[in-house]
Formats: sequence, structure tokens, C-alpha cells
Amino acid sequence: MNAQQLINPSWWQLGLTVGLVAIAIGVSAARGLGLERDLAIATVRTFVQLIAIGYVLSFVFSTAHPALIVGILVLMLAVSAWTVAARQRRPTHALRLVVLASLTSGCGLTLLLATEVILRVDPWYNPYYLIPLMGMVIGNSLNSATLAVERLDSDLRSGRERVEAMLALGATSTQASAAATRGAMKAAMIPIINSMMVVGVVSLPGMMTGQILGGSSPVMAIKYQILIMYMIAFSTAVTAFMLTTLRARAYFTTAHQLRHDMLANGDAAR
Amino acid sequence: MPAVIRLDQVGVTKHERVVLVGLNVAFEGGGAYSLLGPSGAGKTSLLRLLNRLDDPTCGTLWFGDTPYLELSPLILRRRVAMVFQVPVVFPGSVRDNLLMPIRLEHAHAGTPDITRALNLAGLDAGFAERDAAQLSIGERQRVCIARALVTAPQVLLLDEPTAALDPTAARRLLESISALNRQVGLTVIMVSHQPEQARTVGGQVLLLVAGELVEHGPAEEFFQQPRTDQGRSYLERTLSGRQE
Repeated sequence: MNAQQLINPSWWQLGLTVGLVAIAIGVSAARGLGLERDLAIATVRTFVQLIAIGYVLSFVFSTAHPALIVGILVLMLAVSAWTVAARQRRPTHALRLVVLASLTSGCGLTLLLATEVILRVDPWYNPYYLIPLMGMVIGNSLNSATLAVERLDSDLRSGRERVEAMLALGATSTQASAAATRGAMKAAMIPIINSMMVVGVVSLPGMMTGQILGGSSPVMAIKYQILIMYMIAFSTAVTAFMLTTLRARAYFTTAHQLRHDMLANGDAAR
Repeated sequence: MPAVIRLDQVGVTKHERVVLVGLNVAFEGGGAYSLLGPSGAGKTSLLRLLNRLDDPTCGTLWFGDTPYLELSPLILRRRVAMVFQVPVVFPGSVRDNLLMPIRLEHAHAGTPDITRALNLAGLDAGFAERDAAQLSIGERQRVCIARALVTAPQVLLLDEPTAALDPTAARRLLESISALNRQVGLTVIMVSHQPEQARTVGGQVLLLVAGELVEHGPAEEFFQQPRTDQGRSYLERTLSGRQE
């Protein structure tokens, strides 16, 4: 199959798929799940958001100005950081900044290495590579970051006695929070390890499916998929490391004291 | 005896609530001190200041001639060790637990005398190889004391160390604590909810009420003749068995 033979679905054909969602809504109503409204909103949002991004990407790809591409990458990082923070009980500015710094170092470094050192894309800002690869990496790192923050926060809050017992024995705050940061890093890394274990056997990743549909050879598609999986593993590790290190610090004073305001209210109002 | 720890006009305010106010106390080296007072009087808050788990809002703490703020908290906490109300043991053997304070130091200062620390805490040497997770609460609390003694501190802080224990285990533990003070000369500062425990440990009593130090004197004098009305009413309420 090559690109010429790819079916370009007409708007009319897409309209038919709305019928599938309508059936899903019908099932919800019949079973009294109360999800009809959410499903309807989600259907409209999917349509509007994807149409919008489709036109944005068309514009970006045709303009291909480096400042524009970099701006989009930064925007992707910022939106992700805000999303991770919003998942926590009390999102604060400090938390958003910590997540942003961690995602930027994790995903930024990954993208830089993959596109500039390994693939050597030309020109360096080529949006056909940078934007989809960044999307894949951020999407996964964002989930890992959410898991890491949740786990770290809950471990430090529930394990307060243990942490203070260590501090009282002369441990530094890094030593006293080491068990919690290790647990949080593990929680962040497990999803990608699971994915890597079953990829190709149980799951066919979206990017690979997309490339094959787009006319690439399966071998080409798997090469990119391998690249992507390794990129995600690296980015997840770097993001989780940065995030747990920076976040754990927020729980302690410079005198290696546990901050009670952080334990009681989530982040302190600053 | 010179003061090993001295408090100079120390106060703590948390969320606009006064926790401790205007404390002036000198803890002498080799002394035994019981911090008494009703719930919420600030006993534990004071103990946490002494271990520098918290800092005061105002005033100065001195360790010997040095202000607390000029000492590394990591070193201070090895000199002024603390044992908590709920014993925390770490995974592994009792020996692993006792070695922990040494392993936390970047420059290892020789091998500690595990057996001596165990004996001081009232445990025999055979405990070293036991799994810490399998111990009773009373044994765990003794492991915590032994672990605090490994760094050879000058002061041992105890926050209601018998709270989780049955009366027999509690009495035995208090006897061990008293022995640490009398036989080894360790300065002991213990928070207690039960005034009669201060009798077992002896030494000085400090009575805190609503963050203020209202009595400070030898334990026997306090029990025979409290100097203040607050001291009298505290003793009446607690000794008649109505615990707060």
C-alpha cells in the first residue's frame, strides 16, 4: 500500500461515525449510567479540538518558522505542567513550576538527543519530526509525572513518623525522603516498562498504526516505534528523577526540618 | 553543673495560636527532667525544639555556649537524640536499625558498640540479630532508645515513650530510662502524660500549662507541695485518675 491508495474519508463519511457515538449514548441511557451528557460533550470536544489542531498543524508545517515551532513546543510543555498540577489536591504555583522544570528537562533533552543527535533532522526545527515526537514523549511523561507527584505526596504525608524518626537520627532531608522518592520514581517508571514488555505482542501502538495507514512500510514503522519507546523510557526517567528531587525538597526547610504547612494543607500558600 | 541546653525567651506561634511563650529554662548536664502538663500545653512542641525538628518563632536556644542556629542540625541531633511516642523501626534486623545513624554519616566514625547500646536500653545482646518488624511494641521502643544511644548523645529526649505500652512494660522502660540517667550520667528530658512517671524517673519537674512554664523544681517537692494553683489543680485532676 502506498500513500496514493490511502482512503481520504469525506466529511460525510466522518459524519456516519457520529452514529457510533450515538449508539454509545443510547447504551448509557438504557443502563442509566448518566454519562450521556459527558459523552455528548466529549464527542463535540474531540471534533472541535482535532479540527483546530489539524488547521494549526497545517499552518505550522507550511510556515515552518523555527520560532513558531519552538513556541508550540513550549506551549505543549506549559499546558502539560498545568495539567499535572491540576490533578493534585491543591495545585500551587510552586508545584506548577517544579513540574514545568522537570518536564522541560526530561522531554526537552529527549527531543534534542533524538532529533539532533540520533536522527539529525534537517532543518533542525523540522516540524514533521519535532511536533509528533514531542507529543508522544510529553503525553507519556505527563502521566508519569502525575503518578510521581501523587505517590510522593501521599508517602511523605502518611510516612511522617518515619521521616522524622530518620531526621532525628541525623539524616539529611534527602536521606529521610529517599524511600518516598524511590517509591515515586518506581510508580512513574512502571507504566512505560509494562508498555515496552507487551508492545507488538498485545498492543499495537497508535503511532505505528498511523504510519502503516499512512503508507509506510511496517519495518519503517517499527523502527520509529522502537525509537519512540526508548525516548519515552528515557524521558520518563529524567522527568521523574527531576520531579521527585525538586518536589521532595519543598517538604523540608534548609535545616532539614519537615514542613508542617506542606503536610497539613498540601502546598503552603506562598 | 553547667547547662547543656538553655532556652532564652523562647516562644512558638503557629497559625496565630500561641503554643509556647517566654520560656527561660536551663537543662543541666546529667539532669533528669520530666515535662508535664495537660494535652495541648506545648510539651511535645518544646521537645521538638530541643531536637531542632522545629525552630522557635522568637528567642534563642543554646547548646552549651553555641546558639542552635549556628550548629549543623545534623550534628546537633546526634548530640541531642530524640525518641518518639510511637516507635519507628526500619526494615531489617535490630543490628541494621542500630547501625543506621552511623550509615547516615558520610564519614563513618568507626564501629559503634551495638551490645553496649542494647544493654543500656535494657535489651540483651541476642536481640541484635532479631527481625525488627517481629518485635513487640515495648521491645521496639527499647530498640529506638538503643538506636538513639549509638551516636553517644549528651542528651536523650523522650516523647511519652510509654504511651503505647502496657503498665508493666511501661514501668520497666521507665526504670531503664532512670538507670541511663543515674548510672551513665545521660541528661534525660522526658515528656509524660502521667505525673507519677516523673516520680519514677526523679530529678526535676517542669509543668507547662497553655504554653507557659508554671512550675520548675525537684520532682519530690512538686508532688508534696506544688507552688502554684495551676500545679495543684493539675495534680488533683491527673492523680484522681481523670486523664485529659
